[in-house]
Amino acid sequence: MNRFHRNNVTFWVFLAPVLFAFVMVVAIPFVIGGFYSFTDWNATARAGQGLKFVGLHNFTRSFQDPSFLYSFIITTIYTLVNVVVINVLAIVLALAVTSKLRFRNLYRMGFFVPYLIGGLILGYLWQFVFNNAIPAIGNALPFLSTLANPENLMLRHVDTSIIALVIVGSWQYAGYIMMIYVAAIEGVPTELYEAAQIDGASGWQKFRGITVPMIAQAFTITMFLTLVNSFKQFDVNYSLTAGGPATSFMGESIYGTELLAMNIYKVAFVGNDLAAGQARAVVFFVVIVVFSLVQVSINKKKELEL
Amino acid sequence: MKSNKRLYILEFFMLAFLVVYLYPFVIVFINSAKDAFSVTQYPMRLPEKWSQLFVNMESIWTSRNVRYSSSFFSSLIITALSLVFVTIFPAMGAWVLVRTKTKTSQFIFLIFVAAMVIPFQIVMFPLVAWFRTVFQVTGLRLLRTYFGIVLAYLGFGLSLSVFVYHGFIKNIPFELEEASIIDGCKLPEVFFRIIFPLLTPVHATIGILHGMWIWNDFLLPLLVLGKGNRIQTLPLAVANFAGAYVKQWDLILTAILMAMIPVLILFFIAQKRIVKGMVAGSIK
Amino acid sequence: MRKIGVAALVLLMIGAVVFASGRPETGRDGITLMQNKPEIDAMLQDYGQVWSDSSGIGITIKSVGGSSGTSLGQQLRADYTAGEMPDIFIIAGIEDYREWESLILDLSGEKWVADTSVAFTVDGKVYGFPVAIEGWGMAYNGDILKAAGVDPASLTSYGAYKTAFQKIDGMKDKLGLDSVVSMAASADMGWVTAHHNFNSLLSNGLPYGDMSVVKDLQNGKVDQNRLQQYADWVELLFTYADQTVLTTGNYDAQVGAFATEKAAFLHQGNWVDPNMDAAGATFPMAFAPHGSLKQVTDGIFVSAPSFYVINAESKNVAAAKQFLNDMVYTNAGQNFMVKEAGMLPAFSNITLKPAGQLSQSVQKWSSAGKVYSWNQYQFSGEFRDQVLAPIYNQFATKQISKSEFVQAMTRAFENRKN
Repeated sequence: MNRFHRNNVTFWVFLAPVLFAFVMVVAIPFVIGGFYSFTDWNATARAGQGLKFVGLHNFTRSFQDPSFLYSFIITTIYTLVNVVVINVLAIVLALAVTSKLRFRNLYRMGFFVPYLIGGLILGYLWQFVFNNAIPAIGNALPFLSTLANPENLMLRHVDTSIIALVIVGSWQYAGYIMMIYVAAIEGVPTELYEAAQIDGASGWQKFRGITVPMIAQAFTITMFLTLVNSFKQFDVNYSLTAGGPATSFMGESIYGTELLAMNIYKVAFVGNDLAAGQARAVVFFVVIVVFSLVQVSINKKKELEL
Repeated sequence: MKSNKRLYILEFFMLAFLVVYLYPFVIVFINSAKDAFSVTQYPMRLPEKWSQLFVNMESIWTSRNVRYSSSFFSSLIITALSLVFVTIFPAMGAWVLVRTKTKTSQFIFLIFVAAMVIPFQIVMFPLVAWFRTVFQVTGLRLLRTYFGIVLAYLGFGLSLSVFVYHGFIKNIPFELEEASIIDGCKLPEVFFRIIFPLLTPVHATIGILHGMWIWNDFLLPLLVLGKGNRIQTLPLAVANFAGAYVKQWDLILTAILMAMIPVLILFFIAQKRIVKGMVAGSIK
Repeated sequence: MRKIGVAALVLLMIGAVVFASGRPETGRDGITLMQNKPEIDAMLQDYGQVWSDSSGIGITIKSVGGSSGTSLGQQLRADYTAGEMPDIFIIAGIEDYREWESLILDLSGEKWVADTSVAFTVDGKVYGFPVAIEGWGMAYNGDILKAAGVDPASLTSYGAYKTAFQKIDGMKDKLGLDSVVSMAASADMGWVTAHHNFNSLLSNGLPYGDMSVVKDLQNGKVDQNRLQQYADWVELLFTYADQTVLTTGNYDAQVGAFATEKAAFLHQGNWVDPNMDAAGATFPMAFAPHGSLKQVTDGIFVSAPSFYVINAESKNVAAAKQFLNDMVYTNAGQNFMVKEAGMLPAFSNITLKPAGQLSQSVQKWSSAGKVYSWNQYQFSGEFRDQVLAPIYNQFATKQISKSEFVQAMTRAFENRKN
């Protein structure tokens, strides 16, 4: 099914706009940034003193930093939980939205709308919910009174703070992923369902035989998106927990809910060391690539099976 | 009748879930009609005067240090232009990538997709430095211009677009294209006449996904347009409400409400397209 | 339908190319000023307009920072990379200075240098124009203290505070309080503990400008006696604070508790005056010293937190210098600083008084010479935010005990890398 040859004009003409944008905006800056991670670059007046090549120094230093290692662990945990929660929620919502429920269009808009609120404000809003609204409910309903105890505030402890991050991340993102599942489900020609109906298939069989394989294709996309976006999470982290309650790790006090992107941000901008931040970002990038390659290949295999 | 009852129960639960799910919006809404201090101290109470909402809206629209109206229109232009480019061009690229099974096309596709993984921090400053170098060497202005920021959005958005278009084009039967070629269509016509219209639901989906991100984005405009310069987007302008010590919550929340309106409109329009596209697809 | 689509597309592309020719910022050939308090942006814009009219030089004001998620430092770096460094910008202290050293102009010869004692100096040369005077101590609610029978003038040592806190805590219900002191130690309020409260350790009780404790700590030498007393003070504050505000509260929550008279004391500075104003809090309030030592420490912490500096590579150095001069020596400038922006002026020739009670309190302590210095900037932001702040946070959430707190702080200074 080889439509074009590599030299074919149409191939390159059609690709030209995206290739140009990609090279100008992503590829070249990426290479430059990668180069900087081997130096002591700081993008400021001090750079006027000449760029010093430091080899792998930035990289080795990052692996010796407890907060960086901790961020890795906590981000991985957060990502795994988040991916599961978002996708389960999104599938359920997508099914509801494409079903025969009366208010399905209302649901479609309603569940998508949380994505409208930008990252920072979202965090501040939910901070209010966790710190003020939930205790208020605890005060109002006697059997939930434990909620009103300051010791039980979710944002006070590291593990519940992670759960809070998952809640907010899912709330914001599930609608977005739902849209992709919806597009996949609605891409199924109705004739397939009608034919199955004629053949006497039950609702469950129709679901398993037609809907599920169709969703499975979207799975590769959605898994990839949720994995990558959870791993890169910054906005909600910054505004909801700001790194969260402190905890002890490897004998030092560090912030307990500082995900990787936030850790890089702090090193680069609070610590005034852009080159070190770049190095960590490069490591960050490599790890995500490895994770997503693994994920995509697993998904592709499943896709073929179905 | 049993299945109807099941449907009613399901309906009920969904509605209840929706109400709880959207509760934070209720908070935004009731608090946008209050003055700043009431917002932080008594957030759960209903506002005293709903007319305060319009007072807030007016002070935002006329606020001189925020220049709301001009940044609103700038955001509109940037988002609209970016959406056009980030749907058409990636669709074109995805189509030729799908229909060509060479090592080159696979490589290019892989690179595009891998780019989705790049955290923005890596490219932030290099991007600005590079744009400035381009200007110094070729005289082409990218920083502080519409062209620069739209190009940047195309650059960062095309990965997702190509990825999604790729997935959907793969499912379009090749026979459709073959048939039209036999009828005498040239290749570009095949794309624009046959494939492009079929992708309408995908255009709408991508449009919404990217539209939201671009409309609310803060970091990229901050770098490419710069704060306080001639072209400002809404998120840049509204940031002035969040001071170092005094956050004007009443205005911030009202501004959020106001920012949601265009997106909701976009959503409605896109919704219709998705449904239309689905119907057209099934007729075929 | 398709033809319309194609036509629209072509129009858009033309539009894009038109925009590509983008008119750059050379419209006004005046000066650009970048500052970090968005809340005074409106007043500054107004004053900028007034100054422009009278001097004939254009000025563009840019305000970055606050709680929007981007700091002034970040924006400066981005603008520098873009080749658009402002003519006047702000630095906070020695760390910022070192970063921009090669771009900062020597201002030792300026007229206003003689009229201030808090200009930013390095090696005897003046580089920074102090934006305002700020101070902090323990802000107290005069009415509540009176009702509790506590004399604010007596609050000058650890012992006095301990007695007072215990007394007020016992009368909480009668006085309508949730807690004695409104203190914050959560992750995003790390600056309250690791910047401000930390400074008590560095300068409380010492002559103004005395760096002996700072130097020792920088060399990894920890005075255990002083640190132990300081830890007692921190423990006192944490114990008598509202636990919700302490562990999870944000700035509005902490300040709001004091403004709504739910707490008798507030651990903040005179910059909360606008917040008090917005809350309609009119009860009498003033500052009392910190009680971080057993001995009497009768003074509060006063200094200039930020400075305007001039870009040495600016094409309009004369205009920039004039702008700074005019702020000090013209009526419009003085009016802007004190009346419009509500700041405490750092210049002795200015006689206007700000309206806020806490600012006036700072002025009183300052005129009486009862001031201690701000030394926290001698330690890097990274050290304070990433190393010290989590220790305070763990102590506040009761994960570590007081002795562990002391050990952790000692280790932090001994192992300090930056």
